[in-house]
Amino acid sequence: MAKWGMVIDLDKCTGCQACTTACTMENDRMPGENWQDVLFYTEGTYPNVSMKWFPRPCMHCEHPSCVSVCPTKATYKDPNGGFVLVDWNKCIGCKYCQVACPYGVRFYMDERAVIQPDIRTVFPSNNDRLWDPPYKGPQDDPSRGVGIQPHGVVSKCTFCYHKVSKAPAGAVDLDEDIPELKEHVPACVRVCPPKARFFGDLDHPDSYVNKLIADKRGVRLKDETGNKPQVYYLSGGAAAAVPALRSMTGPDKA
Amino acid sequence: MTKTTTKELGTLILALIGVGIVGYLVLQTLGGQGHAAFNTTNLGVHWGLPIVVYDYFLLTSTGLAMIAALAILFGSETFRPIVKRAAWLALAGLAGGVVVLMLELGHPLRALVAIPTSFAFESPLYWKAMTIGVYVLALLILIARMLKPDWDAKALRAHAIVILVLAMFITAAAGVVYGSNSFRPFWASGDIPVAFIFESLLGGLAFIYFFTYLAYAFDADAMPEGVKRLFNGALPGLFALAIFVHLLFVLARMVNGLYGNVEGLQVWQQMVSSPLFLAEIFIGLLLPLVLMLLAATRSRPWAQALAALLVMNALLISRYEYIIGGQLVPMFKGTWAPDLLSYMPSTTEWLLLLLAILVSNAINAFGELTLRLGRER
Repeated sequence: MAKWGMVIDLDKCTGCQACTTACTMENDRMPGENWQDVLFYTEGTYPNVSMKWFPRPCMHCEHPSCVSVCPTKATYKDPNGGFVLVDWNKCIGCKYCQVACPYGVRFYMDERAVIQPDIRTVFPSNNDRLWDPPYKGPQDDPSRGVGIQPHGVVSKCTFCYHKVSKAPAGAVDLDEDIPELKEHVPACVRVCPPKARFFGDLDHPDSYVNKLIADKRGVRLKDETGNKPQVYYLSGGAAAAVPALRSMTGPDKA
Repeated sequence: MTKTTTKELGTLILALIGVGIVGYLVLQTLGGQGHAAFNTTNLGVHWGLPIVVYDYFLLTSTGLAMIAALAILFGSETFRPIVKRAAWLALAGLAGGVVVLMLELGHPLRALVAIPTSFAFESPLYWKAMTIGVYVLALLILIARMLKPDWDAKALRAHAIVILVLAMFITAAAGVVYGSNSFRPFWASGDIPVAFIFESLLGGLAFIYFFTYLAYAFDADAMPEGVKRLFNGALPGLFALAIFVHLLFVLARMVNGLYGNVEGLQVWQQMVSSPLFLAEIFIGLLLPLVLMLLAATRSRPWAQALAALLVMNALLISRYEYIIGGQLVPMFKGTWAPDLLSYMPSTTEWLLLLLAILVSNAINAFGELTLRLGRER
C-alpha cells in the first residue's frame, strides 16, 4: 500500500496562499481553521529586513505524537496510505493532540470565533455539526475527520483523504497534469500556480517525490522530535528556508 | 443536635447553595456559548485555567492520599487523627477537579466510555484516567474500613501500599503528560514527574492543616489533644521540608530557564518579573517556610493556618504558570501570532475554579458531618 507524502519546493513557493484558499474551499473549513497555511515571517532588523513565508500543512507523520497521546485512539494512522486522521465519533475534545503536535496544525473550533460575525451563527447547523455552509462538498466521513465536524472535536488536514484514497490502484505520483489522476490530487497541490507542491508514494522507489527528495536533499521540519513527517521541503537557498525557530519575529530572532 | 453538627450542616448547606448558584451560571454560559466562553484559542493556549484547576485538585488529592497512606504505614498512633480526613479530602478534592474537567472536555460523557474501551496504552492520559478509577475505588474502600472508631492501622497496611502506589502513579503520569513534550522546553524535563510528586505532597500537607483548622472553626482549643500534638510536633517540620523541596524544584527550573537559550524558555524572562510569580515565591512559599521554621511561630495555630492558606494559593499559581507558560510560545504560527501569546482566563473559567472549590467543600462538609473525620479519639 502507498505511503503518501508531499514535497514542497520552497524555491518555487510564492506565498500566494492559493493552497490555503483551495484547502478551505475543498474541505469547508471555518475562518481561522487553516488546515493548510502559509506562514509569513519578518526576519532581521531595519534596514536589513526581509519577509519570508513558509507553507505548512499537517505533516502526516510516520510516528505522530498526536496519535501516541490520544487517550481514545480517535486520532490514528491509517495503514492504507499513511494518513493521520481523526475519528470524530471517538474524539472527546481533550485537546491533548493539539498540545502534543509540534507543528500546530490541529484545530478545536468550538472556541471563540477569530472573525466576526461568527460564521457558526450566520450559517447554523441543525444536524449537530459546527456550521452549515451554503456551498459545501459532498464528502462526509466523520470516522476519518472528513466533512464538517460535530461540536467538541478536534479537526485537522486529511491530505484530502476523500480524493487521494480513491486514486486508481498502482498510482505512484498524483500529479494534476495527468488527466486521469487530477481529481485525486490534494486541493493544495492541484491549485499551486508555480507548481511548488508534489504528491506521491514515498514507499515507491521510482516516485517523483522520492526523486525530488534525493536530488534536492529534501528535509523534514523539526525532525529532531522523532515524528518523522511525510512532508518534505526542498530549499536551494534562493528563497525561504525551513525555519529553525517557531517564532521568528523580534530583533533577537534575526 | 450538637453545636458542632449544626455548624457542619450549615457549612454543607452554604456550599451546596454555592454549587447551585455557580453551577447554574456556568451551565447557562456554556449552554449558550459553548467553549467560546473560554479564552483558550487555536493560536497556542489550548489548555487554560480549567485544566490548571483540574490538575491542581487532582495533584492535591493524590498528595492527600499519599499522606494518608504514609501515615498508616509509618505514622503509628501519632498521625492517626489526620488519616481519615486526608483520605476523605482526597476524594473531595478530586471530585471538584473532575467536575471542572467534565465541563472542559468537548465530549465528557463519551470520555467515560471511550477511554476505558480504547486500550490506548501509549497515551499517558489513558493510564492516568484508568488509574484514577481504581484510585477512587481504593479510597472509598479505605474510608469504609475506617468507619469504626477503633480501626486498626496494621490491618490497613496492604491497602495503604496500594493507595500509595496508585497516587504516586497518577501524579507521575500527570507529570509525563507535560514533561514528555520535548518540543516544549518550558515543560520538558525528566524530573517533572518527581517534582509533581513532591508538589502534591506539599499540597496534601497544606490542605490537611487548613481543613483541620476549618473543621474546628479555627479554634485551636477545640481540637482534640491528638491533633494538637501532631500539629505542634512532627508536622510543622515536615511541612517546612515539603515547602523547601518544592521551592528548590521551582527555582531550579527558573535558573535553567533564565540561562537556557532554547526556543520556548524565553517565557521565564517574562514570568520572573510578573507580580504573580513574585507573590508565589515570596509570599506563597518563603513566608510560610519562615513561619514553619521559626520556633516562635511554628506551633502557633494562626501561623499554621496562614502558612497552609498561602501555600495552597502558591501551588495554584505554580500550576497555572507551569501549564500556561508551556503554551505561550506558539508552534509555527507566523508573524500574525506574537512571540509570546497572552492569556487571561475568562469569567466563566474563573467561575469553574469557584465551582471546584465549592464542590470540594460541599463533599468535605458532608464527610465532616457524617464520617466524624478525625474525631474518633
